[in-house]
Amino acid sequence: MTPIPPPEDQGLRHHSFDGIQEFDRRLPNWWMVLLFGSILFWVGYWAYFEWFRVGLSGSQTVAREMEHIEAARLAAAPTTDNTSLWAMSHNHVFVDAGRATYATTCGSCHGDKLQGGIGPNIVDKLWIHGGNPTDLYATLEKGVLAKGMPAWVPVIGAKKSAEVVAFILSHHTEGEPIEVQAAWTPILPK
Amino acid sequence: MSDKKITIEFNDKIVRQFLLASVIWGAVGMLVGVIIAAQLRYWQLNFDLPWLTFGRLRPLHTNAVIFAFVGNMMFAGVYYSTQRLVKARLASDFLSQLHFWGWQAIIVAAAVTLPLGFSRGKEYGELIWPINIAVTLIWVVFAVNFFWTLARRREPTLYVGIWFYIATIITVAMLYIVNHLSIPTSLLHSYPVFGGVQDALVQWWYGHNAVAFFLTTPILGIMYYFVPKAAERPVYSYRLSVIHFWSLVFVYIWAGPHHLLNTALPDWLQTLGMTFSLMLWAPSWAGMLNGLLTIRGAWDKLRTEPVLKFFAVAVTFYGMSTFEGPLLSIKSVSALGHYTDWIIGHVHSGTLGWNGFMAAGMIYWLLPRLWNKPLHSVPLANLHFWLGTVGILLYTAAMWTSGITQGVMLNATTEGGTVLAYSNFLETVTTIRPMMMMRLIGGGLYLVGWFLLIYNLWKTVAGAQAVNGTIEVFDDAGNITADEKLSLVGTFLSPPVAFSVLGVGFACAWMFGNDILSIAGLVSLMLCVVAAYAHFESRGKKWASWWDRLLVNSAPFTILVVISVAAGGLVQIIPTVLMHRAANVEDRRQVAYTPLELAGRDIFVSEGCYNCHSQMIRTLVPDVLRYGDYSRLGESIYDYPFQWGSKRTGPDLARVGSKYPNIWHYRHMENPRSVSAGSTMPNYPWLLTKATDTGALPGKISVQRMLGVPYPAWSPAEVFANVDAQAKAIADDLRAAGTSVAPDREIIALIAYLQKLGKFETVAPAKAAAR
Repeated sequence: MTPIPPPEDQGLRHHSFDGIQEFDRRLPNWWMVLLFGSILFWVGYWAYFEWFRVGLSGSQTVAREMEHIEAARLAAAPTTDNTSLWAMSHNHVFVDAGRATYATTCGSCHGDKLQGGIGPNIVDKLWIHGGNPTDLYATLEKGVLAKGMPAWVPVIGAKKSAEVVAFILSHHTEGEPIEVQAAWTPILPK
Repeated sequence: MSDKKITIEFNDKIVRQFLLASVIWGAVGMLVGVIIAAQLRYWQLNFDLPWLTFGRLRPLHTNAVIFAFVGNMMFAGVYYSTQRLVKARLASDFLSQLHFWGWQAIIVAAAVTLPLGFSRGKEYGELIWPINIAVTLIWVVFAVNFFWTLARRREPTLYVGIWFYIATIITVAMLYIVNHLSIPTSLLHSYPVFGGVQDALVQWWYGHNAVAFFLTTPILGIMYYFVPKAAERPVYSYRLSVIHFWSLVFVYIWAGPHHLLNTALPDWLQTLGMTFSLMLWAPSWAGMLNGLLTIRGAWDKLRTEPVLKFFAVAVTFYGMSTFEGPLLSIKSVSALGHYTDWIIGHVHSGTLGWNGFMAAGMIYWLLPRLWNKPLHSVPLANLHFWLGTVGILLYTAAMWTSGITQGVMLNATTEGGTVLAYSNFLETVTTIRPMMMMRLIGGGLYLVGWFLLIYNLWKTVAGAQAVNGTIEVFDDAGNITADEKLSLVGTFLSPPVAFSVLGVGFACAWMFGNDILSIAGLVSLMLCVVAAYAHFESRGKKWASWWDRLLVNSAPFTILVVISVAAGGLVQIIPTVLMHRAANVEDRRQVAYTPLELAGRDIFVSEGCYNCHSQMIRTLVPDVLRYGDYSRLGESIYDYPFQWGSKRTGPDLARVGSKYPNIWHYRHMENPRSVSAGSTMPNYPWLLTKATDTGALPGKISVQRMLGVPYPAWSPAEVFANVDAQAKAIADDLRAAGTSVAPDREIIALIAYLQKLGKFETVAPAKAAAR
């Protein structure tokens, strides 16, 4: 901050308003730098983004970044064939991780014990969209939008989705009968 | 000059009235604030009652503290100081009383209509159209009373405080009228004339500058009077006042789009909003410097004088929040902070710190003078100061922590940046719950401090004799000779005005012109700056004498203020409003709402859902990962009013349509926790029983047609048939899912609306014509 100059040098203006007087001190240098610096920044920023259009717009940036993400997802997708998913369902690492995701993401519709609610029961042997591990994974991938089941893989990722499938499979045994169910009637809480 | 002296008695009765009103409404507004803060921690406090839900009470809180608390405080301060600064009694006792009682009637009307759900659905602009007209009329009464007083002044030249009052009156009128342009559909309901992006731009031009010209400039004027009075020190720098005033009123208006960064708002507007917000930093800090450095000569008084303590902390918070504002306007910072509690913290360091403490300091200073009796208790005022200060610090610290935590969590990704780390929005809500408690405590302490002020006021005023200030002046003291007056030509063809107008013109040519015009504009701008500098250096005295002569001419001064505050709005709003809407939808156009969906949308607006839910997926990866493809300009083109929102206490809803089945929405509105464990949203049981107001739909649709929404020319019967068919389909679907509800209930209309969100048709991308 600028030091206070000696009193006689402060340029007190003659006028007084209801007893209020005013000094006429010069503007602090650092403040001038702030003022003119921000104006120069405007010139440069506008030139970069709006005049020469070197900088990408928001929609261009997000489109590019989403492409990178898409590429990374494709490269890192876990193996989701029947054998791998059954194997994962016997591994507590995957099952525990799947249980946690299920509790926060799926349980509100399918019930905390998988018994169903708004969404169908997934602990019994009745399946609407197929009961094979790959069928389950496909349901997570595509969703059943008409019935309100979102496509979860794009939201929680392939890894967590595979873990959830492993968790659901851990309530089933390989080779158990798969019966076809036509539709699900939601169960409402009492 | 005649040597006849006369004695003027100031109209201090009106000051006392406004002061008491400010104190009372301040308590009400802050109390509602504490209640809604508690609701964010304990959803049960919504009590399942429509008029006590957060969505309806938050507008009551914001409107009460802005227009009732600060409004009344501003009028008290303006009327007290203006009379003394211009050595004249207020021009009309009748207008003063009309102003006072009119304003209180408006506040009462607002306090009744907002909890009842009558709302325009635009933040700080919620009041319904009849009240809008009343506000405008009373503001005109204020303006007439003020300028009439100026015209009768016995002090030739205008003090800096008066400049700020003039800017306030002019700009608030301009902002308020434009943002409240509506077409009524009934006595209690209207649609704004702007929709979608246009409404968004106008709304935040208004919303941001309500902060600027309702909460800042009048309070700066009050600061320029009361701070040097209380400190008994001269103002730090007159030169700083001049630069500060003009840069502030000119730049502020351009900064509105910083509320819409990374949204579908065209990029050039976002760039203007961000860069002009950064340019606001220095002008704002000039005000802080003039306040703090005026007090600096009187630091010793801070130990004994609570008034100065309040002022010093208020100005410090002004400086802090005007640093934080530009910081938050940087696009990448906004990506983190916007829609979170950080913004709430920012606003409250301004309102609690700057506005609340300026009000408290002013009131403690005025009480002994208006009632001719020493303040009842200085220790109590000191206690108020400390409770308030600790309250603000707890509040803002809680909101910073909450906002940054939630922002970081919402933006966090995992698995190489391909997946959200916290895919469930509720995880972030649960994490910040302790901060909701801390905010409640901070706000509660602040409110307790305010009650101490009320007690102190009561004990001071009780039994005291109200006194009106007087002054002895020469009768013709205000007369100025003809050669001192500026002619019209002299006003506008003066070097400062000419260089400023040319500079802004060249800058616009550079920014918006095509190639050659653009380069010519930039070259001319630089030449203009150099020429202005050279002229000022060689003929600076001429500039100074022009300025001195301008200050004795309130009319040309006012016109120059009008021009500088209008410039930013004109450049931003005119192209946006006039642009060819069909060509500016990017690659998508919204599918217009069916009548039932429109009815549902009006329920959404009326319940104040926008207070917690945005409808705008930003051009940011975490937003796209969480909510789907980013929102396009065309996807809200038929939204009157726009509902992009400003805060995400809950998740974004732009693409919620078809995401869940109807039954999910039904159960969610009945009790959000039945489908979203841990949700803090209120229950909306009345939606299940209340009938939708479909009778108003034909009228509403004809207004929407007038506004350009492509509805066919339906007869009322066709509208009702359309409603019935869609409502029956939803009711049937709910019945199939095990729930029976009559098709005429509000829940059906709301579900229809929510399921429509995000529906668009693809159109060939058209090149933006807005530039």
